Amino acid sequence: MYWLEKNRVRELVEKLSREYAVFGPRYDEVSEEVIFDRLADPGQLNLQAPISYNPPKYILFPHYEEILKYTYDRKSKQVAIEKFSKIQPKALVGIRSCDLTGILCLDRFFLGQEFVDEFYLEHRKKLFLISSTCVRPFPQCFCVCTDSGPAAREGFDLDLTFTGEGYLVLAGSRKGQKLVDELKLEPAGKEASSLRKKIIGESISSFDKFALENKAWISRATNRLTTGFVKPEVWEYIGNQCFECGACSFVCPTCSCFNVEDVNRIPQTDRVRTWDSCSFEGYTKMAGDHNPRKPVEDRRNKRFFCKLSYSQSKKYLRPGCVGCGRCARVCPGDIGLPNVVTYIRREITGEEDR
Amino acid sequence: MNNQLLPIVTVPEVATVVEIRDEIPEVKTFFFTFDRPEIEEAFRIRSGQFIMCTVFGAGEFAVSLPFSPENDRKHISVRKVGKVTAALHALEPGDKIGIRGPFGNGFPFEEIKGKNVVYVAGGIGLIPLRSSIVHVLQHRQEFGRVILVYGARSSRDLMYKESIREWKATSGFETYFTIDRPEPGWSGEVGFVNQLVARIDLPVEHTVAFVCGPPVMFNSVIKELKIKGIKEQNIYSTLERHMKCGIGKCQHCAIGRTLVCVDGPVYTYRQIKTLGEQI
Amino acid sequence: MSYERGLCNFCGTGCGHLLLVEDNRPRGVYPLPGHPLSRGRLCVRGWHIHELLQTPERITEPLVRDGNGFRQVSYQEALAFTAEKLRKFAGEEIAFLGSPRVSNEENYLFGKFARAVMKSNNLSLSSDAGLEESAEVLLAGCGWPAMTASLSGLREADFILVAGGDLTRQNPIIASEIHLARRAGAFVVTISPRKTQMAKLSRMHLRPEPGTAFYLLLGIARMMLDEGLVEREFVESRIENASEYMDYLLSLNIGEIFELTGVDSQEAATVARRLAEANSAYGFYTVGIQSLDRRTIAALFNLFLQAGKVGRNKGGICPVTGISNLLGSLDMGISPRFLPGYLPAEDESSWKKLEELWRTSLVPREGKSVASCLLDNPELKALVVVDHDEEIIRNTNRIKQLELVVYFGSYENAFSRLAHVIFPRTTYIEDDGTFTSSERRVQLSRKKVEPPAGVRPLRETLSSLAVLLGHNWKYPSPEEVMKEINRVIPWYSEITYRKLEDRAGIKWPVDELHPEGSDFLKLEELSGKLSFVVEHPGPSSELPDLTSGEKFHFKLVVGRSNYFWHQNSIMKRTFIPRREYNALLLLYPKGFVEVSEEDARALGLREKQQVKIISEKAEVTLAVRISPDILPGMLYIPYFFDEMIPEFLHRQVAGLEKSEEFFLPVNLEKVV
Repeated sequence: MYWLEKNRVRELVEKLSREYAVFGPRYDEVSEEVIFDRLADPGQLNLQAPISYNPPKYILFPHYEEILKYTYDRKSKQVAIEKFSKIQPKALVGIRSCDLTGILCLDRFFLGQEFVDEFYLEHRKKLFLISSTCVRPFPQCFCVCTDSGPAAREGFDLDLTFTGEGYLVLAGSRKGQKLVDELKLEPAGKEASSLRKKIIGESISSFDKFALENKAWISRATNRLTTGFVKPEVWEYIGNQCFECGACSFVCPTCSCFNVEDVNRIPQTDRVRTWDSCSFEGYTKMAGDHNPRKPVEDRRNKRFFCKLSYSQSKKYLRPGCVGCGRCARVCPGDIGLPNVVTYIRREITGEEDR
Repeated sequence: MNNQLLPIVTVPEVATVVEIRDEIPEVKTFFFTFDRPEIEEAFRIRSGQFIMCTVFGAGEFAVSLPFSPENDRKHISVRKVGKVTAALHALEPGDKIGIRGPFGNGFPFEEIKGKNVVYVAGGIGLIPLRSSIVHVLQHRQEFGRVILVYGARSSRDLMYKESIREWKATSGFETYFTIDRPEPGWSGEVGFVNQLVARIDLPVEHTVAFVCGPPVMFNSVIKELKIKGIKEQNIYSTLERHMKCGIGKCQHCAIGRTLVCVDGPVYTYRQIKTLGEQI
Repeated sequence: MSYERGLCNFCGTGCGHLLLVEDNRPRGVYPLPGHPLSRGRLCVRGWHIHELLQTPERITEPLVRDGNGFRQVSYQEALAFTAEKLRKFAGEEIAFLGSPRVSNEENYLFGKFARAVMKSNNLSLSSDAGLEESAEVLLAGCGWPAMTASLSGLREADFILVAGGDLTRQNPIIASEIHLARRAGAFVVTISPRKTQMAKLSRMHLRPEPGTAFYLLLGIARMMLDEGLVEREFVESRIENASEYMDYLLSLNIGEIFELTGVDSQEAATVARRLAEANSAYGFYTVGIQSLDRRTIAALFNLFLQAGKVGRNKGGICPVTGISNLLGSLDMGISPRFLPGYLPAEDESSWKKLEELWRTSLVPREGKSVASCLLDNPELKALVVVDHDEEIIRNTNRIKQLELVVYFGSYENAFSRLAHVIFPRTTYIEDDGTFTSSERRVQLSRKKVEPPAGVRPLRETLSSLAVLLGHNWKYPSPEEVMKEINRVIPWYSEITYRKLEDRAGIKWPVDELHPEGSDFLKLEELSGKLSFVVEHPGPSSELPDLTSGEKFHFKLVVGRSNYFWHQNSIMKRTFIPRREYNALLLLYPKGFVEVSEEDARALGLREKQQVKIISEKAEVTLAVRISPDILPGMLYIPYFFDEMIPEFLHRQVAGLEKSEEFFLPVNLEKVV
């Protein structure tokens, strides 16, 4: 472990920005909330800010991305197809362990299956990841229940833990070690490891009661979901409150469903992929007139199954939920994952709806 | 499929539409060849697989492959159902299309050798079964009885009339054809496919069945096959789902814990039953 | 690539968003956390606005009709052509169709162009269902034309009444606030014949027969009176026509009313009690997409007024606009009835005032809405239109007869194709502008990307035309326009771009008395007296026959939906919202009619079966969709855009689309 003085963060960012487009948490002046955004200036970076409202997912899995472009001249029958590839290297500074875990989930999904997704890979291999231990969980956060925080264990190039005076730095890759060497960081000393543990411990105890109380309930909900024991009425109750906006998928660090469209920008056509959500009615609709998945509660069911069930965990080595709590914050129907767990818990215990 | 060229995963390979045939109302068959000779040479499929077909300027769609893995012209048969398929129907011979694939698991071929094979199709449900039928007939001696039961609304709704003529003349291939209502000049059966299945003599032991057709037909045929004693794990079908990528990433075709594009599209009825969705 | 603060431009909620901009193109969107109303949420439309904003299907050059097609011309040529033509028309021969999606600044100039340059008062929006009526009722009742409440305190509400169209579809984020209020303990009651999602999220759902919501509200008002729950002291001291109104209520035959509406009187009594007891009560209704009729709005207002819930903090009357700048458009005077700032057009003095402010001569005249001009003004020869949907296209034949149609727009559509000259227009992220949401919140949307080469803002094109027509118009920036608005519209007098720069909007009135805006209507600031708005005084023996009659057995109601919440050429240029709409249309390619489960069972109808709907004048064949959401005896046709409206509805749709209070008596027959 190494030691980084508080006032050297700027130097770190400046060094990175020579090679990478640097992204990190910054405050929005008007809403006073934290956004994970391209930093126009290293001074915008705020490593002490609470978790960003948006996950960094969009940086490697963009909301709207051209993947191919082609032209077809019907007269001469000439076709030209090529891949879009102008992906610039990016450094993500100060990502939370929940979001880092999200990226690792996306890695397993996009890269670790039968087929490798070339476009994701392009983004991914040009990424430099600096995680930071979360010391300010939000009321909706529950990473302690989903084994994804508050500190990172793997997948980072560098990891930072704020002690008050400076940062304890772990190098997690050769790239990371190289940066440590270039910055000539001093070793953090013998106490560093136990200090980091202590800070993490304090963070855990500052979690909201929902997270602390529900640790067991989340695994029980997982169990129920997997075995299909959640009653249809519970899904119907949840489904009635769904506004079908798609936000839960869009803000989820691990949701990766996408849509593909060909857009004619004459003379060329762009093949575009955009975020999609399984909560939409049209998501499974087939050309013609058949939709195998109809009622909204079916679609809700599907999403939570995907986030929590055992089969998901088996396939990707962990649950699909990283406990960031964002789905609870953006949901117009107030049926983010924590509430869903609460409803399943109520079904088990027979507690009354408020 | 031991080559580096397949499947075509990301960038579609350009192919030329060499012939277009009107099959039945709203359905056309498009014969194609790849522009790159090495792809044309390497393009091998398993029966039951599908491709992603790009109609330039309109979009891409998933379509099952009806041609046999061996000695058969490459083609697809497509019903006009939406924007992209309508654009495909507007093409003329000489036009280009883009192809990715082949994708999906395909029908088991080695496993069913030596068994009786029953094909039951309704309407355009014959499209995904054609490949397997032709393939099995090409290896006729390696199978027991081979039977096709095919029904459509009317005689003009029967797919692949040319192939059907050949099949009728093939010895050792038992074929039954039915249409919903009597028609002048029709010499085959009349009534729904499931009723025909119920009437005819089908083998039960050492038998696999392949069933494809619209949901109502599918369910009623399965019922008859089960009454006859054919086991659920020996009934195969192929599922169609909305797909965007073909390689297990976009998740549109997710059913329960499987993805139709990589785990399917071929499933046994026993598997389908546990997926928890409509057909 | 970075996120820039902005606002959504779909419905009248005015949600804040972050637009991801890269290489001069919007590449994504994210809800803006900390926005005082949307608080980090967006609906399905808002989540996909970037798809629309980067569509390649833009109008990028001026076009002049050439035979059946169009010829690309220079701005200079198009302007000269248009000015030359416009010179020929007198005020009554020309009409102006404004757009509720464009900014206040653009609307203001458009109205000024109509009145000051072309001397015409034929000026309207076509998506104004219920908005003018609502403004008139509220002006008559409390001298304030829009939402009297603030939505910031909604989550602490005790009582919320929702009437009109489905808020969860029209303004999902406002509906979400109501949902959260209910979860926090508010008593939410929905009045709608349909079991909407809003109704499912309510504590109580009152389902009056179509056409009877007005009577239901009267019934509730009367029950409140009978139970002694009316704030008599307040009512008698503050409200000028109190006794007249009370007498009217007392003259009603309450038994007949509840029989007519089909609503249980005990449930109505509960609503009366809950409303009377509430410390914080809100009355919502939708305008712009689907609304209530005038008298029903008045009845709702009166009910809240007699309960003493108007003019207090935390509560009041809340008309909710369906389109982004609908309210702002009316504020700017895009209406034949109102000059800017709600000066009544029928008063000579209003015109005098405006003449002084604009320093030009005006011709005070009675104007008509564009819709009624097209219907029954044979003198009409020309039409000027801003970015419009196809809605008015049902008058295609009349529009084709016009000598001149000028279209300003960003996107081509069925309307632009009828034009003689088309001017491209910047979208709302290609120029600065302010937009006024349902809650009177004026928000500044900053320019975020450069327009396609050569595309000019409406402000510039209108100014050039005004100059060619001999007026000295100089508006170098939207901010300059706002400075003029400050002088003309008292409620906007202290709105500056500087103030708007660093906050998510400010609610009018923003004047000397309220430099930081006004959260809600304060009784103590009211100059005049309050007044009940009695639209149809008279004894209850005049209750109409609201059955569908002996000849017809069903009441047909028409409605609109979430994704295509309009007849919308805009949604067609997105992927996901378009697909979500198509999901339904693909299931029922030629549209559908909803039949209640009960009626379907009684008639032996199957899903997707073809049926004939027969009205007095015409008939149409549609597929059946069996719905648990509608009342027996009722049929419901949702329509999204032009292609879906059966021809026979075209003739009746003007009334039908405005309000769920309209219905058409029809019969239903199976097609053999």
